[in-house]
Amino acid sequence: MTFYLPVAEMSANILLFLAMGGAVGFLSGMFGVGGGFLMTPLLIFAGIPAAVAVGTGAAQILAASVSGAVAQWRRRNVDVKMGTVLLIGGLVGSVLGVEMVRLLRHHGLFDVAVAACYVIFLGVIGLLMLIESTNTIRQVRAGRVVAGRRSGQHNWVHGLPLKMRFHRSRLYISAITPLVLGLFVGLLVAIMGVGGGFIMVPAMIYLLRMPTNVVVGTSLFQIVFLTAATTILQASVNFNVDVILAAILMVGGVVGAQFGAAAGERLKGEELRFLLATFILFVCARFAWQLIARPTELYSITGMGAF
Amino acid sequence: MLEFRRRRGIVAFLSVLTVGLLAPGVSETLAQKRKAPPVPVAEEAPGVRRPEVKREQQPGAKEFVEATVSKRTIAVTSSFNGTEIFIFGAIGGSQQPSAESGYYDVVVVVEGAPSRAVVRRKSNVAGLWLNTSSVAFDNVPTFYAMTSTRPVDEIATESDRALYGIGLDHLKFTPAVGQSVPLSNEDIKSYRAAIIRLKSNAGLYVDKKQFGVTFTGKSIFLASVVLPANVSVGPFWTRVYLFREEKLLSSFSVSHTLEREGLERYLHAFAYRLPTLYGFTTVVIALGAGLAASAAFRRSGPA
Repeated sequence: MTFYLPVAEMSANILLFLAMGGAVGFLSGMFGVGGGFLMTPLLIFAGIPAAVAVGTGAAQILAASVSGAVAQWRRRNVDVKMGTVLLIGGLVGSVLGVEMVRLLRHHGLFDVAVAACYVIFLGVIGLLMLIESTNTIRQVRAGRVVAGRRSGQHNWVHGLPLKMRFHRSRLYISAITPLVLGLFVGLLVAIMGVGGGFIMVPAMIYLLRMPTNVVVGTSLFQIVFLTAATTILQASVNFNVDVILAAILMVGGVVGAQFGAAAGERLKGEELRFLLATFILFVCARFAWQLIARPTELYSITGMGAF
Repeated sequence: MLEFRRRRGIVAFLSVLTVGLLAPGVSETLAQKRKAPPVPVAEEAPGVRRPEVKREQQPGAKEFVEATVSKRTIAVTSSFNGTEIFIFGAIGGSQQPSAESGYYDVVVVVEGAPSRAVVRRKSNVAGLWLNTSSVAFDNVPTFYAMTSTRPVDEIATESDRALYGIGLDHLKFTPAVGQSVPLSNEDIKSYRAAIIRLKSNAGLYVDKKQFGVTFTGKSIFLASVVLPANVSVGPFWTRVYLFREEKLLSSFSVSHTLEREGLERYLHAFAYRLPTLYGFTTVVIALGAGLAASAAFRRSGPA
């Protein structure tokens, strides 16, 4: 059963993309991650133009995170002030990122840029997760008690000017750090089609030293607004949001996530992380191969455009 | 109170969605309705245009050729998966004794709109394969298919084929003016070859189908051309050349179009004409889908 995607301008097999959305939804439900960094690469591997994969990815992440954000909001786990500061930085980053997408596409370098970004991010994250999870598995097998994280220490971040008080997070820190963090995540959303939770959550815990109970809620809060804004910006500047493709992925994704969450409860955290790390490194290797292997065809055609 | 608020929220959501979906389509739908013929023709889109026709008879020739295509307007809907068009032709004043005699030769060319194409070439930069150079060409047809009664090199002379643009070697695309980097002839040749190779691989350029035109009577002939699923929409021209002993007797051309229709046309127009509203609508759909799914699964989840 094929369907013509109006913006990607290609015929697509609905079942393939439904299954893809379902699989990524399943993994994201199982591992408790956003799934954007798996969805966008899979779309690219399936032949969707990289720019359309990235733009449509933002809309798909929005659908995947909104229900979580509402649930966290009800439980009062959102630091609205922190979220707003992050969002201001994020919107600036998104505007810059969307403009970078336009320029890179104009010069025919967008595919390579996306591949390179993914190789770097997935490589680093995959390796860190692999090392951490194997260590934990080994320690658990040896019967040692796994120590929790230390907190309460100050670092260089706390010495910056423009201090603001964040009541919900019980923090008095410079607004510069969350602004820059937000900006960086905004860039990632626009250029890589990811939610950026995998950067945002660790940064909130280790860099901003926010209490863990508000980390996930605040991260989801800003992701919802950031991906909504990025979707509109991408559609207006780059015309790379395919609403049909997004809808197919959303349906597959939300259903898959429900089953993934159920499956995830039966596996141990460190085992899950080991599995996810292996998967991430596999995707990373696939992009790296695309960058370094000699292509069979050196030429490519793009339609309308300048030179 | 809460119930009321929720209901009001749903009404607001639906009305935004409806306005978003309908606004850009209204004028188009009305225009189409006014133009629509009383009896809808199967597979033909509403508002069939009168085809543009060009006929040319060579001086001294007694014969002339005429042709038509099976579908003047082809609709590209959401389920479009390629189509086949038929070209029916007739020779006026045919001297041919029978369909099998091979007295005349016919060449049929189906060509999509001339457009600009940017060709990029990758090279290895510090171990990575990057697009490092590009050439823009104008007059690159989006689609080109040629078929004939027998191999074209037996039908027409090289100069005639070049003159009438018969065969992929004679496509007249030219480097766009104002290229930033001066191009050598060698470069242009390899970029041209790349366009033809890439488009041929995509099934968009076809000139190897010989014996594709068959006479079914003394003066009538038939040919078919497959338009693949990835063909671009826009105007098309089908040209028919009548040859006898390497001499052109008559030619005929007829225009037809490939148009987006239905949801497909609507969404494409929405995305490109009102991009901000389109983005906003996508956001509303995403929010609705996410919230609806979680509400549905909270009641009867698998977990």
